[in-house]
Amino acid sequence: MPYEFDEILETIKMTEIEHFDIRTVTMGISLRDCADRNIAITTQKIYEKILRYGGNHVKNAREVERQYGISIANKRVSVTPISIIGDAFHAEDFLKIAETLDKAATEIGIDYIAGYSALVQKGFTNGERELLKSIPEALSKTQKVCSSVNVASTKAGINMDAVNLMSQIIKEVAEKTAAGDSVGCAKLVVFCNAVEDNPFVAGAFHGVTEPEVVLNVGISGPGVVLDAIKSSGGVDFQSLSEVIKKTVFKITRAGELVGRKVAAKNNIPFGIVDISLAPTPAEGDSIADILTAMGLEDVGAPGTTAALAMLNDAVKKAGLMASSSVGGMSGAFIPVSEDAGMIRAVERGNLSLEKLEAMTAVCSVGLDMIAVPGNTPAETIAGILADEFAIGMLNDKTTAVRIIPAVGKKVGDYVDYGGLLGRAPIMPVRELSSKSFVLRGGKIPAPIRSLTN
Amino acid sequence: MKLNDDKIRELSIQAIEELGPNASHDAVKKLVEEKIRNPEGIPEGVIQENSGRVILTSFGLNAPGVVSSISTALSDAKCDILDISQKIMQEFFTMIMMIDITNSPKDIKDLQEIMKNIAEKLKVKIYLQHEDVFRFMHRI
Repeated sequence: MPYEFDEILETIKMTEIEHFDIRTVTMGISLRDCADRNIAITTQKIYEKILRYGGNHVKNAREVERQYGISIANKRVSVTPISIIGDAFHAEDFLKIAETLDKAATEIGIDYIAGYSALVQKGFTNGERELLKSIPEALSKTQKVCSSVNVASTKAGINMDAVNLMSQIIKEVAEKTAAGDSVGCAKLVVFCNAVEDNPFVAGAFHGVTEPEVVLNVGISGPGVVLDAIKSSGGVDFQSLSEVIKKTVFKITRAGELVGRKVAAKNNIPFGIVDISLAPTPAEGDSIADILTAMGLEDVGAPGTTAALAMLNDAVKKAGLMASSSVGGMSGAFIPVSEDAGMIRAVERGNLSLEKLEAMTAVCSVGLDMIAVPGNTPAETIAGILADEFAIGMLNDKTTAVRIIPAVGKKVGDYVDYGGLLGRAPIMPVRELSSKSFVLRGGKIPAPIRSLTN
Repeated sequence: MKLNDDKIRELSIQAIEELGPNASHDAVKKLVEEKIRNPEGIPEGVIQENSGRVILTSFGLNAPGVVSSISTALSDAKCDILDISQKIMQEFFTMIMMIDITNSPKDIKDLQEIMKNIAEKLKVKIYLQHEDVFRFMHRI
C-alpha cells in the first residue's frame, strides 16, 4: 500500500468528523466586454456570459466533491466590479444589472454572485457615485448579489468622503432589509486594500488585472486545526506552531487539488488558493475554539491578539509551502456571527468591539459580521470604518468592515440568518460621538512607509 | 482531454500558423488531430485526467461477510483490487483497499452508490475517494 493506514484514516477523520471542507470554489468572470451604451444589451451580454462560463460550475464542483469525498460548501461567481463596466449608467440602470446578476446566479444554481462593487479609494467617477446610490435598493431586491466598495489603500490613503457615504449606505441597507434582520448588510463589505482574487464573499470581485475567466478556491478547516492543537497537549510555542503548520499544509494541498480539478472540469485556468481559515457556525469549526485550545480562558483574555497572530502566521507559512498559487486574503477570519465560539465570548461579555479591532491588526480580514444596535449613528459607523482602515492602511494589509446596524434591535437582542451567515448577538458600541471628526471630509493622506514605528 | 469548439478553433489557428504556406485543408486537419492526441498549450493550471486508482476505506463493528460483500461487488463491477490491508481492534475493524477502476464500466459515483447499499446492509461505513487526495495531502 503506497499510503500508511494512519494517513488514510487521518484524511477520513478530517472530512467526516472535523468539518474539513472547501469553503468555496469561486469562478471569476470578466464582464469588461459586456459594456454597451444600451442597458438592455449590456444586461443581456452579462447574462449570456455568466451562463456560458458558469453553466456547469455547480455540476462540476459536485462531481469533484464526490470524487474526493471532500464537500464544497459554496459554489460562487465573482465578476468585474460593476462600476467599471457600467460607468456611463445611472442608478436605475445599475439596479437592472443587479437583477440580471441575481437571475443568472439563480439560473446556474450558485450560492452567491459577488462584484457589485466600486473602487473609490482616491475619488469617485460619476458612474461609481451612481452605483453606490443603487446599493441599498440592489441588496434589498436581490438574494444572491454581494457588494463591496474599496474606500482606502496604503497608496491612496483613506477617502473619508467615501467612508461617510458608505456609513450612510450601510444604514440605508439595514433599513431596507429590516424585515430580514437587516440581512442586506451581511452582503455588503467596505474595504481597505481590497484584493482582486479573493474567492470569499461578500468581498469577492474579479479584478481588472485578472484573466478572462479563472477559478479560485477558498479553504476552510478550523475544526481540523482545533483537534490537532487539542491532541498536542501542553507543548511550547515552537512545537505548537509545528502542529498548526503540519495540519494546514495538508488542508491547503487538498484545497489546491479540488480547485485545480474544478478548473480542469470547467476547462478554465486555475487561479489561487486562499488559505484563510474560515469558520462555520457548526460546533467545533471555530477560530475562537482554537484560541481557547491554545490556553486562553476565553476569546478576549489578554494574550488573545498574540495567540491569533501566531495562528495566522503559522497558517501562512504552511500554506505557502503547500502551494505556489497562494493568494486572496490568506489569513484567519474572525466573523462573529459565523463562529459559535465568538458568539459565546460576546454573550459572556468577554469580547468587545475594541478587542476585535485589535485582533484584526494581526489577521485577515477585519470587523466581520458584527451586529450593533440599530440606533447607532452613521457617523459612529464612519468612525469604526476609519479606525479599521487606518489599521489596514498603515500595516499594508487588507482590512474590511461588514457591520450590521440591525434596525429595531438593542444590546441583548440577536440577528439570526441561519446557514453559513449564522447568528449574532448585538454588541455594545461606545456612545461617544465621532461626528465632528469624520464629517471634516476629504482624504486622510497616504502614510509614510519608512520610520515605521 | 475534453474539447470544446473554442479549443478546436484555437488548435486550428495554431496549426495554420505553424504550417504557413503549406496549410492545405488536409494538412491542417492532420495536424489538429495530432495536437488533440498529444495536447500542448493546455491553459495554465489545467491538469491531465488522473489515474483510475481509488482508495476504499471501510470501518465499523466487525461482522461476518464484510470483506467478501465488498470484494464481490467490486469484482462484479470489474474493478481490480491492487492492495488490501485490514486491522481488527477488539470488536472494531478497519479495512483499506486500493482499487483500480480504469477497466470498470462504472465510475466512482456508481461505485459509491453500490457501496452505500452494502454499508447500510452491514451497518458499517464505506468511503470511496480518489487516490489523488491522499497523494496531495500526505506526499510532498
